[in-house]
Amino acid sequence: MNGSDTTADVLKARFPLAVEGVSTFRSDLVITLKREFLRDVARMLRDDPRLRYNLLLDLTAVDRLKLGITPRFATVYQLYSIPRNQAVRLIVPLPWDGETEMPVCPSVTDIWPTADWLEREVYDLIGIHFEGHPWLRRILMPENWVGHPLRKDYPLGGEPVNFSGDRDNPRFAHLGQQIMEGLSFPSELPPGVDPENHMVINLGPQHPATHGVLRVVAELAGEQIVSAHCDVGYLHSGFEKTGESKRYEKFIPYTDRMDYLSGMNNNLAYVLTVEKLLGVEVPLRAQYVRVILAELQRLGSHLFWLATHAHDVSGTIHSLLMYCLRDREMILDIFEMFCGGRVTVTGMCVGGLRQDIPPAFPEAVKVFLREFRKRFKEYDAMLTRNPIWVARSQGIGYLAPEEAIALGITGPMLRAAGIPLDLRKVQPYSSYDHFEFEVPTATESDCYARYLVRMREMEQSARIIEQAINRLPGGPFRTADRKVVLPPRPELDTSMEAVIHHFKLVTEGYKPPPGDVYGMAENPKGILGFYLVSDGSAIPYRLHIRGPSFVNLQALDTMARGHLLSDLITLIGSVDIVLGEVDR
Amino acid sequence: MLQGQDGRSGSLGILLTTLEQVVNWGRKYSLWPMTFGLACCAMEMIAAGAPRFDIARFGAEVFRGSPRQCDLMIVSGRVSNKMAPVVKRLYEQMPYPKWVIAMGDCSSVGGPFNNYAIVQGVDKLIPVDVYVPGCPPRPEALLDAIVKLQEKIQRHEKLGDRL
Ligand code: SF4
Repeated sequence: MNGSDTTADVLKARFPLAVEGVSTFRSDLVITLKREFLRDVARMLRDDPRLRYNLLLDLTAVDRLKLGITPRFATVYQLYSIPRNQAVRLIVPLPWDGETEMPVCPSVTDIWPTADWLEREVYDLIGIHFEGHPWLRRILMPENWVGHPLRKDYPLGGEPVNFSGDRDNPRFAHLGQQIMEGLSFPSELPPGVDPENHMVINLGPQHPATHGVLRVVAELAGEQIVSAHCDVGYLHSGFEKTGESKRYEKFIPYTDRMDYLSGMNNNLAYVLTVEKLLGVEVPLRAQYVRVILAELQRLGSHLFWLATHAHDVSGTIHSLLMYCLRDREMILDIFEMFCGGRVTVTGMCVGGLRQDIPPAFPEAVKVFLREFRKRFKEYDAMLTRNPIWVARSQGIGYLAPEEAIALGITGPMLRAAGIPLDLRKVQPYSSYDHFEFEVPTATESDCYARYLVRMREMEQSARIIEQAINRLPGGPFRTADRKVVLPPRPELDTSMEAVIHHFKLVTEGYKPPPGDVYGMAENPKGILGFYLVSDGSAIPYRLHIRGPSFVNLQALDTMARGHLLSDLITLIGSVDIVLGEVDR
Repeated sequence: MLQGQDGRSGSLGILLTTLEQVVNWGRKYSLWPMTFGLACCAMEMIAAGAPRFDIARFGAEVFRGSPRQCDLMIVSGRVSNKMAPVVKRLYEQMPYPKWVIAMGDCSSVGGPFNNYAIVQGVDKLIPVDVYVPGCPPRPEALLDAIVKLQEKIQRHEKLGDRL
């Protein structure tokens, strides 16, 4: 509380005219700024020794058309200060007369380079022009797309569901019309690329080592990379727009499908955000089980990363791919036992868990841990001192700590640069403070260091799971708040009140108070953030996702310069991306 | 055709069949899928290739990175509008004969993503041989699809027509 007061005071003292309002909602500090002052304020927030908001976590915008607020558009900046462990949100309303094509906002790319892709995303999906952005063009949608999907006057789209299968019926004549003519090459090359003197090659979107549908435009001088620009959006699925058309709880299954290797972690980050918005407390047992599930998922995600990374870097370590996937199956079995799903789990609900753990669960987890620890030693021995592995990853892709922060990197990549930012430690959620664990870091900040950090993280995850399973408390597995979770089935037979609650919840859902919150959690890949704006109805007015893979991938260009083309594969693997989350 | 395989009989066995059947028999047990993961379903496709489910039992474990070496495209996930032309081109790059499995709800009909971004079924772009329901389908379901496809290949009547 102390810290947040300082921020507003310091800001008001320095720029008395800039601040339009200061508010706190659910312990989030929100400052509304005048547009003219944005860049000055931003620079001060970053540099002032009392504030030091060095990490721009998120940048998005809200179309407030249906809220009836003028001006219609506002940009939102979520800042975080690593040294002070404080966050602040800036909201900048953008005056717009509606006569120009889009409202204008000053760009902050030179203050926080991470804003580059984030601003392009806002430009693409909401249609805001960032003045001073070096290369403002669409990032997720195809280049020739018309309109900005996240505007509130833009329809959700899609097609009526065709149950009859009668394709000759003229009613279905328009099916498939949304498919556009493809452009095989980007109409212009990224800035600075020199096709006269260098060779420009295309990697992806279908390439076995890009972990999905990433496309990289690499500029080469001989074998050496001059620049490596990513072209993303090949898996853009409209998560945010979909979320804005569904009730809060109905978005949980979608979170599984974002970063599909860490379904449980995504669930956790999302339910934490909604719980923050609602002000719901979760019972201790549920918190512990959530930790177990999230850490198991982290192991699963890291194992998958290890499998594919080792496979990409050296085809000879193919056996490791098989070993890791075999172990991951054990984790998936545990998930299946818990909730019936393997990949898309939807294991948590707002207020706790969907169901309690089955009786055989603790034993299965213990068996897994025993096996995992034994095998993990082998994998460690196979790679850590393997000369080929070391030669291919040591010294590759150095990223200075300041650079990493400026680019908004989080997760193992940031920790491999020597910055021990782990939300589980610095802002413990879901009882993470009850467990003993370390935050592994390294200082070399190369691919090998990232590998080591992830390996050590797996050991720590196993440690957390063990503590949680041994000390698992009894009690309810979800909150008793009937406004949020359904009453247990037997209660419906005896209590009229329970029937009413059940009916209201099923037909209407819960309605959080109006306001906006930012929730986040430490995912295997970095900080996953959700920004929710509630207008008081059962459907989120604005739902924005900060995908750690998306932000981390931006560093690829910086890391790749000067290395060989074959190192690009190592680098993509060491960022650990999942395209579902990059493109959302 | 199959001569002397049964060592005990001592004589050459004779098997009468059509050329189509022999070729189909060869083709169906040597499907080469493309290494082409789109979304969450790809995780289950990879799991199908991993030790527990072991797609090699059905002769389809040789995943190839280049479409020019493949005859099976497993569309494992949602196809966005930006990806649609790429999928089509990849299909066109595969040599004949070639087959397509639409794995999962998304590639079959759009799945949970009925919105502006996702193509509502990959069959709008390329012909699909087998649809696999599920979100994602379990690896067993994918294996079942491969068996179904094998049956379909075996039924193929005339060599040379482009199916
Ligand atoms: S069908 Fe389900 S699991 Fe498969 S890609 Fe679509 S959303 Fe993901």
